[in-house]
Amino acid sequence: MAAAPKFAKTHEWIRLDDDGLATVGISAYAVEALTDLVFMQLPAVGRTVKAGESIGEIESVKAVSDFYAPVSGEVVEVNAALPSTLETLGQDPYGSGWLVKLRPADTAELAALLDQAAYDALVKSQPH
Amino acid sequence: MPSDSPTTGLVAWWDEPASGPENMAADEVLAAEAVRLGRPLVRLYGWATTTFSLGAFQRFADAAAAEAVATLPLVRRPSGGGGIVHGSDLTYAVAVPREHPWGGEPQVLYDAFHEALVAELGHRGVAARLHPGRPPEADDEARLFCFDRRARGDLVVPGPAPDGHKILGSAQRRLKAAVLQHGSLLLAAPRGVAQAAAHPGLTDLFPAAAADGRDLATAWLALVAGAAGLRLEFAPAHFRSLHPAAIAATAERFADPAWLRRR
Repeated sequence: MAAAPKFAKTHEWIRLDDDGLATVGISAYAVEALTDLVFMQLPAVGRTVKAGESIGEIESVKAVSDFYAPVSGEVVEVNAALPSTLETLGQDPYGSGWLVKLRPADTAELAALLDQAAYDALVKSQPH
Repeated sequence: MPSDSPTTGLVAWWDEPASGPENMAADEVLAAEAVRLGRPLVRLYGWATTTFSLGAFQRFADAAAAEAVATLPLVRRPSGGGGIVHGSDLTYAVAVPREHPWGGEPQVLYDAFHEALVAELGHRGVAARLHPGRPPEADDEARLFCFDRRARGDLVVPGPAPDGHKILGSAQRRLKAAVLQHGSLLLAAPRGVAQAAAHPGLTDLFPAAAADGRDLATAWLALVAGAAGLRLEFAPAHFRSLHPAAIAATAERFADPAWLRRR
């Protein structure tokens, strides 16, 4: 069974799967804040990324935002259907709205991320 | 250097006209400075020559194919939104640390600037209002020009279009530590471009309201600051003169054809 997701302060979630890969997405809070998504750019498969590095961009009617790698690793798969079905992000951000799968360089980096309770507290503290 | 405390001052600079890459670079440096100083910063500026700016993900090919702007210098903004012909507009950039109250949901900063201009134009007898936004099926993203689009909070005035004539649009780049918002207040229709890109500006429709664009902008920013409990302070120097090396280095990236043609 896959582990519970953890969260970056920049609002990405990451879940370590049974196959050793990690699935990454954007939290429901972040998706809702962006509203009216119009375009997304995902990273290239095979790219090596460092924790905190921008791995893609998403545009809403008002804003362009980067999203970041929660941990270091290699991009092994992207949700290629997502840019043409952006509504999926809002409908199922923790499921079919996933962004990329990473092969983590060091799963110990996950320990530095927020658990659900800590992330919920972060969201409550955000300016509205 | 700004003298006010970070919690009480809104610092703004009037900058001399510059090229597209220089202006975009200055705004990115403005965002870094906002983070370093822990306070919102504003830059008001013009353009050295009439320039067409594309939103971060608009298609280069669409701009190249548009006869109305095909011969203009082109720059791609880091912020979103539609294309803008600069030259007879007042462009602003505001950079805000993410932890600032303006750094939260995108609409907050957008509304802070747009609502203040509605109020200032009201003082000048112009019935400006915020547009409620078009339904998603309107497919505004297919429209090349910002001033042909309508998003929630765009500032419109009575004019040729049945749902209001847009004279102010803004869009953001949400960075890891800062929010950079670009906006364009259309003061007059740009000259030297075809009708499709020559949207009438404020002075075309209401000559008395913006006879002095600098006076209007100063009053507008004072209202932005006041609504947030801040005091507006104009810095004496030009922002670009304070950071020439960083801006020159960053401008190279914005002048790179790879950035211009990224999509």
